Amino acid sequence: MTATVAPTQPRTGARIGLQIPWRQIATYALAIFFACYLLVPFLWIVLTSFMTEADALSVPPQWVPANPTLDNYAGFFNPTTQQRLQGSRAVEETPRGLLNSMIVAFSTALLNLSLATLAAYSFARLRFRGSQLLLMLYLVSRMVPGVVIIIPFFLVLRTLGLLDSYLGLILSYTTFTLPFTIWILKDYFRTIPRDLEDAARVDRCNWFQMIWRVFLPISTPGLVAAGVFAFMTAWNEFLFALFLTNTIKSKTIPLIVANFANDLDVRFTFMAAAGVLAVIPPLVLALIFQRLIVQGLAAGSVKG
Amino acid sequence: MSTQPLALASEAPGHGRRRWWWPWGGAQHDTVFAYLLNVPALVMIFTLVAYPIGYSFWLSLQRYNLKRPDLQRFVGFDNYLQLLTDDTFLNSLKISCIFSFCSVVLVVAISLSLALLLNETFLGRGVLRSLILLPWALPGVVNGLMWRWLFNARVGAFNGALLSLGLIDQYQTWLIDPTSALAIAIFANVWNLAPFSTIILLAGLSTIPSELYDAARVDRASAFQRFRHVTLPWLLHPLLVVLILQTLNAFRTFDTIYILTGGGPGEATNVIALQTVRTVLDFTDFGMGNAYAYVITFITLAISIGYVAILHKRGSFEV
Repeated sequence: MTATVAPTQPRTGARIGLQIPWRQIATYALAIFFACYLLVPFLWIVLTSFMTEADALSVPPQWVPANPTLDNYAGFFNPTTQQRLQGSRAVEETPRGLLNSMIVAFSTALLNLSLATLAAYSFARLRFRGSQLLLMLYLVSRMVPGVVIIIPFFLVLRTLGLLDSYLGLILSYTTFTLPFTIWILKDYFRTIPRDLEDAARVDRCNWFQMIWRVFLPISTPGLVAAGVFAFMTAWNEFLFALFLTNTIKSKTIPLIVANFANDLDVRFTFMAAAGVLAVIPPLVLALIFQRLIVQGLAAGSVKG
Repeated sequence: MSTQPLALASEAPGHGRRRWWWPWGGAQHDTVFAYLLNVPALVMIFTLVAYPIGYSFWLSLQRYNLKRPDLQRFVGFDNYLQLLTDDTFLNSLKISCIFSFCSVVLVVAISLSLALLLNETFLGRGVLRSLILLPWALPGVVNGLMWRWLFNARVGAFNGALLSLGLIDQYQTWLIDPTSALAIAIFANVWNLAPFSTIILLAGLSTIPSELYDAARVDRASAFQRFRHVTLPWLLHPLLVVLILQTLNAFRTFDTIYILTGGGPGEATNVIALQTVRTVLDFTDFGMGNAYAYVITFITLAISIGYVAILHKRGSFEV
C-alpha cells in the first residue's frame, strides 16, 4: 500500500498543471515522517548526554537541556572523584574500550579485504570445478548462528592462548564476515570489464601487479562496501565479545555500554554519553562512504 | 532478468579461448590457481567454523553440565527429545516466531517505502539518505539501551510525550507489561535493522534503467502500474535478499533484547537466542545449550534453503 503513496519516478509536473500538487505534498509528508522516525529517538539520547543528571531525571522530560554541560564527556577522560563513584568502573573503561574496538574493527576490515579479494577474484574471473559448491559452502557457513559455534570456539581459542586478546576477536569476526565480503566483492568484480586485465597482461605485469595496480583501484566501491560492512560488524558485535574477553585488555565498547546498562547505580547521562561515543566511529565511516556503499552493493543486489 | 550480469556470466571462463573441460590446458591451471586463491579463506573457515560446528553438534548429544562434570555422558538425541516437552523452550520458540515474523514484515514495509521515497527527487533527499545511516551504525547494545531509556517508566521521553499530548493520564510501565514489552522489542529491532535493507533496496532501484519508465509513461501507465510492472519485477531479487537477511537476523537477535528487557517480564521476550545464551552462561548446561543452538541452525538453514530454491527456480525461467 505504501508503494502507491510513494510514486516511483522523479519527473513530475508534466500533466499536473494547475492542480494541487498532491504528489509533492505526499512526498514531503512522508519524508518528514521518516526523518522524525529515524532521528528523534537518537536525538533524545544525544540531548540527554548534554544534561545534568537532575535535568535528565526531571518529569515531565526536558526536550532541550536547561543547563547544557560537557561534564559527562569530560568525565570519561578525566573523572572527578564523584563521577568515579557514580559511573563506577564503566566510566574509566570507556576510552580504552573505544581504542580496543577501533583496533579490532579496523584489523577485521583489513584482514577481510585481503582474504576476500583473493577468493572473490577466483569466483569472478576463473571457471573451475566446484566453484558453485564452494560459494554455497561460504554461504552456509554464514547461516550458522554465533551461539552454535561459540563454545567450541571458546575452547579452541583457549588452547591457542588467544582468549582476552585482540587477535582472538579479530579472527572470530573475520570468520563470520568473510562469507559476506566474498559475495559482495565477487559481484562487484564481475562488473569490471576484462579489457583492463588484458591490457595489464600485454604490459607484462604479473598477476599480483595486475591486481594491485589495475584491479583493486577500480574496485574501490566494492572494497569500501565490504570493508565498511566488516568494520561495522566487528564494532557492533556483542555476543562473542561477551564470551571471549574478560578484562579491559580487550573489552570492546558494546561490552562497556552493556556494563552501564546492568549497573543500576550508574547515571543515565553517563550512559547516554557512552552510547553517543560508541556510535560516532561507525556513523562517521558510513557518512563518508555512503555513496560508494550504495554503488558497491548495487552490483550484488541485482543478481546474488 | 538483469542483462548485465547475464552477459558477464556467459563469458565467465578464465581466458576466453581455452576449453574448460580440457584437462591439460587452461582449465586445469585455472582450477589449481582458483583453489590456491581460496586457501586462506578456507583455512580460516574450516578451523574456526567447521570444526566448532562439528564439535558443538557432538556436545549437543551429551549430558554436559560444567557444574556436574561427573555426570557427563553420551545421551544421543535425548537433549532434543527433551526439548519437545520443555515449556521454556516451546515458549521461546513461539516468541521467536512472533518476533521474527513481525520484524520481517515491518522491516520490509518500512524499508520498501523508504527506498521508494528516497528514489524520488525532493528537497532534502540527501539529508534523509544520510539519516538512514544512523540506525544502521548504531550498535545493538546501544539500541537496546536507547529504547530502554525512552520507555523508562519513571522518566522516559515516550511517557512524557504521550502525557503532554493527553493520550495517557499517568506514566505507564511499558516494559513491565508482557505484550507491550514484546512490541517494543520488535519495534526497537526494526528501527535498528530496516536501514540496511533500505540501502540494499536503494542499490537495487539504482540499477533499473530509466528507459523502462519512459516507455511506461509513453504507454500512459499509472504510477501504480509503473510500480507493479517495472519497479517490482526489478526489485524482486533484492527483496528476497532482504527477506532472508532479516529472517536470519531476527531469529538470532540477542544484544538488543538482552539489554532492553533481558528476556522479561517473566519470559515474554525470551527469544530463542537469549534462552540459548542463558542456558550456557547461567546454567552452564553445554549439552542442552548446544541443542538449543542447533534448533536455531536448523530453522535458519531451512529458511535459507527455501530462499536459495526460490532463487534457483526463478533463475531457470527468468534470468
